[in-house]
Order: sequence, then C-alpha cells, then structure tokens
Amino acid sequence: MTKRVLLAEDEPNIVESLTFLLERAGFEVGVESDGRQALESVLANVPDVLILDVMLPELDGYEILRRLRADQRAESLPVLMLTAKGQREDRETALECGADLFITKPFANAELVAAVERLAAQGSA
Amino acid sequence: MVDTIVGTRIRQRRREIGITQAELARRIGISASYLNLIEWNKRPIAGTLLRNIAERLNLAIEDLDGASEHRLHETLVEIAHLPSLQGMNIESHRTSELIGRFPGWARSMAALARSEHEASARAQTLSERLSNDPFLNEAVHRMLTRIASIRSAAEILTDYPDAPEERKERFHHIISEESRVLSDIGEALAVYLDKAEEENRILTPIDEVEALFTARENHFAELEEFAEKLAPHLTSPHPVSRHAKALELTREHLSGLIKDLIGSHREVETAAARTRATQALMDYAVGAILMPMKAFQEYSDELRYDIEALSEVFSTGINAVCHRLTALPRTENVPRFGYFRANAAGTIIEMLGLPGLAIPRYAAACPLWVLYRAQQSPETVIRQRALFPSGARFVFVARARNTGPTGFGKPRHYVTDMLATSEADAQRTVYAAETNAPVEEVGPSCRLCPRRNCLHRVEDPLAA
Repeated sequence: MTKRVLLAEDEPNIVESLTFLLERAGFEVGVESDGRQALESVLANVPDVLILDVMLPELDGYEILRRLRADQRAESLPVLMLTAKGQREDRETALECGADLFITKPFANAELVAAVERLAAQGSA
Repeated sequence: MVDTIVGTRIRQRRREIGITQAELARRIGISASYLNLIEWNKRPIAGTLLRNIAERLNLAIEDLDGASEHRLHETLVEIAHLPSLQGMNIESHRTSELIGRFPGWARSMAALARSEHEASARAQTLSERLSNDPFLNEAVHRMLTRIASIRSAAEILTDYPDAPEERKERFHHIISEESRVLSDIGEALAVYLDKAEEENRILTPIDEVEALFTARENHFAELEEFAEKLAPHLTSPHPVSRHAKALELTREHLSGLIKDLIGSHREVETAAARTRATQALMDYAVGAILMPMKAFQEYSDELRYDIEALSEVFSTGINAVCHRLTALPRTENVPRFGYFRANAAGTIIEMLGLPGLAIPRYAAACPLWVLYRAQQSPETVIRQRALFPSGARFVFVARARNTGPTGFGKPRHYVTDMLATSEADAQRTVYAAETNAPVEEVGPSCRLCPRRNCLHRVEDPLAA
C-alpha cells in the first residue's frame, strides 16, 4: 500500500521540489503551509510520516509537535523536522519536543528521501 | 603609602620647571626649611598651602593632593593581581615607589591595561552583537532557505533527466527566481555591513548609555540613597526654583559619584558616551531629588501610575515622571515600564526599553505606534493597546509637548513622551484597558514585520 507523507512547509519552491522527490520515491504527498491547519490535518487523518518545518505561520513546528505528542492519535507518528536554523539548541529543542529526526536546510535530496523512507519503514515495523 | 608621594611630586615638579627650593618657598610665603620638610614627605600638607603650591607649579590640585595617584595606585594593584599576569612576581608592595619615581611609566602601564580591557570588552560586545543581531539572523535564515530551494531544484535536474519537460522548466525557473532573491539578500547584507563600517563602530554612544541603563535595570540605588537625603533641601514651592535647586545639589554633591559610577561600567566606553551618560545620570539624580523614591512609590501606587496626576503632585514634567516610573525597583506588585521619546521627525532620541520591546534604529520603525501619532493632538494623553506579530501585547501611553519658547507667532517644536508597559502590568494602572477597548496591530519595523497586507508598509519584510 502507498505510504502517505504530510509536508508542513510554507516555502512554495521547497514544497515543489520535495513533492516531486517524494512522489518519485513512491509516496503519496499532502501539503499544508500553515501551522494550525497542519495540526488539524494530521489529527484528522494521521499520515505515515510528517515532515515539519520549524518556522510556520500561525503555529510553529515545535508547538505543533508538542501538541501531537500529547495526543493519543499521533503520539507515535514518525516526525522529521526541517529548518534553516541549524544551531545546536534548535536541534535539542526539536528532539526534546519529540522529533525523530532533524535535518537542516540546505539539505541533499538523497539524504532527505532516505530519511523519510527510514521513518516510513520504522512506522510500519 | 601613596600620600607620602605628595612631597616627592612637589620636589620633582619644582625641578622640572627650574626653580630653587628657596625661590618657591619665598613665593608661597613659607620658610625654605619648612618646604624642605614638605618635599621630603616629613610634614603633611593640605588646604590653602597645597592649593598655592599647585598654582605656583602650574598643576591641577588633584595632581598634587594624591587623588590621581591614589587612583593610579589602585589601578596598578589591580593590574598586579590580574589572573593573566600570575606568576610574574610583580612587586605590588612597591607600587607607591613606582608611582613616585617613574610616574610616566606608571601611568603608561595603567593606560595600556585600560586599552587592553576596552579592546577585549569591545571584541566581546561585537561578537555578542553578531550572534544576536536580528537583521543578520533573519538574513542568514532567508539565505539558507533560498539556497535550499536552489540546491534541491538543481539536484533534481541532474539526477532525474527523465523528468517531464514542463517539470524541468519549473525547476529551471525556481533556480533563476531564487538566485535573484539570493543576490538581493546578499546586496542588502553588504549595505548593512558597509553602514557598520562607515560608522567605524557598531555601537553608537546612545547604545552605550542604554546598555548602562539596561545593565542597572534603570535603577541606581547609590544615587537614590543620596537623593533621599538631599530632597529636604528643596524648600521653594515654585517648580522652576525647585528644579534649579535640585540641579545645584546634584552638581555639588553627586558629580563625583556619577563620574565613579560611569567609570566602573564597561558598557560606557567612548568619550562621547561618557558625556551622554553623565548628562543622563545628572537628569536621573535631579529627578530622584525632586521625586524621592519612597514618596514617589507611595504616590504612584495611590494614583495608579497616572503620569499627569504624578506630574502635578511633584510639580514636575511628564517626561521626568516617566523616567522615575522606569526606575521603580523591581518587585512583584510594581508594573515594569519602558520609556521612549521621539522628536517631530520621528527620530527616537531616548529609549529605556522593556524586555521584548525595542524600536530598531537602523530601519524604518513602525509608524502605527502612538508614539508617532501623539503630535497630531498635542498635550493630550493617548492610550494604545498594541498587538505585536509575536502575540505580545503592550499598552502605550503617549503625550506630545512643546519644547521651545512659546508666544504668538512662535513655531511649536513638539516631542513625544511615551510610557510602555505589558498589558498584564497595565492592569494595575489607570491605563488598564477595558476588555472591549480596540486593539491595534503594530509591528517592530517593516523589515521584521510579517504583516504582508499592511497599508503602511514601506519596506519588504526580510522573511518574505
């Protein structure tokens, strides 16, 4: 069965590249560009993997993750955090909030797709 | 001890200008043998005689009375104990001798230590500034995002030659569009850094004075203590006389303390900043004498921080009251205030900030702040409930006043005083907002504000 990835990202050009890459890798891709809608969308229909940008309008990535981890429906959802802020404290905050992986922009396409595949496999294991 | 070098200094100076002991003794009207005892530090010397000698020798009295030597002595002893000089076996017990015999070397050593200290403090400030500068942080964040788009699109074009033509065209377009934005950001960054270079320093004197006030949380306990004692000397009921007297008392009793206070703060580095800081602390002291803290706290509490009522009680200006409010000691039940003053050109001429609230100096500030609107209805207190994009809420209270001479036909030059406090703290004041009072959306500056559809925007946001 096709695995579903939700991409919570507000940069349209990055969304376009990632959608292309993930579809090529065989995933079904959904997109949300606003924090609050991303949260609602995940809770309404939990995807196999969530790619979550930190800087999102309305609700930032950390807050979304905190709320997801407090909700039974999404407590074990594999989450990859994506951000241009690559400082150590950002990585620590992401992991504390419950992210499974943390990748900084600019990223290598192959590395990102491999990470999503790993998380998707881990989720179904 | 240091005091013993006064005689030595007199002897040295007399020889430098080439007069005999007998001649100097004659000119100041004492016997040569008495002067001899003074010169060999065997008789104490002070008062009129010391002043006369200093005058005859063309020296400032502090060059002779040991005050400057005393400071030099303290500085050198401090240097001798610097951790970086441990193990050098400095003969700190012979510091007085060093100052007496080689004053030039002693002063040079102190000057070198001071400039070394200033240089490292400045390096630290610059490095902190670099890592905390909101403009640079935003610019770097935006550049990384752009680079991510370009890299990802370029890799797709290389790795997927079989991609449909229209998709390939889209990725080419992304690369070209993002490259253009990237070069714009690079250019803005270069202009920003050039500006810093032009000024030859990143901190301005105003920034340095603000750093001093921030470091002390706008409160100088040592000045408050003296001000409480000096306040009873204000006997005239007339506001102008009271202000003049407070200024006189400050000059007479607090100048030295203010000088020491500035000297002990690393934040104030440059001569220009020291002059500004001296003026700011003199104003602080005058305010503290006119409105002694204990009484000011009681009235503030009773009048619920009403700036006009407080101004009337203490017969002083609104701006002075606002200053005093920012100086209230930090306790749980006292609101925390910030203060801003702007001229008619909209330039911020004074800022005593609040955490989380600042106006950028090098970018277009948000014109929606009541600070800029108050001059449309001068001498009237206007309140604004301000909501920032971050969700932070503040209450601003502004009032414009004329600063020049008044009279028929004379132009008015307004400045605006603005008091700021968080909406939560405002609940304890007369300015507490009713729940249905309108909230205005404002921002820090166009560059840092994400409200894209704002009608008043003059620059694009950095985080576009």
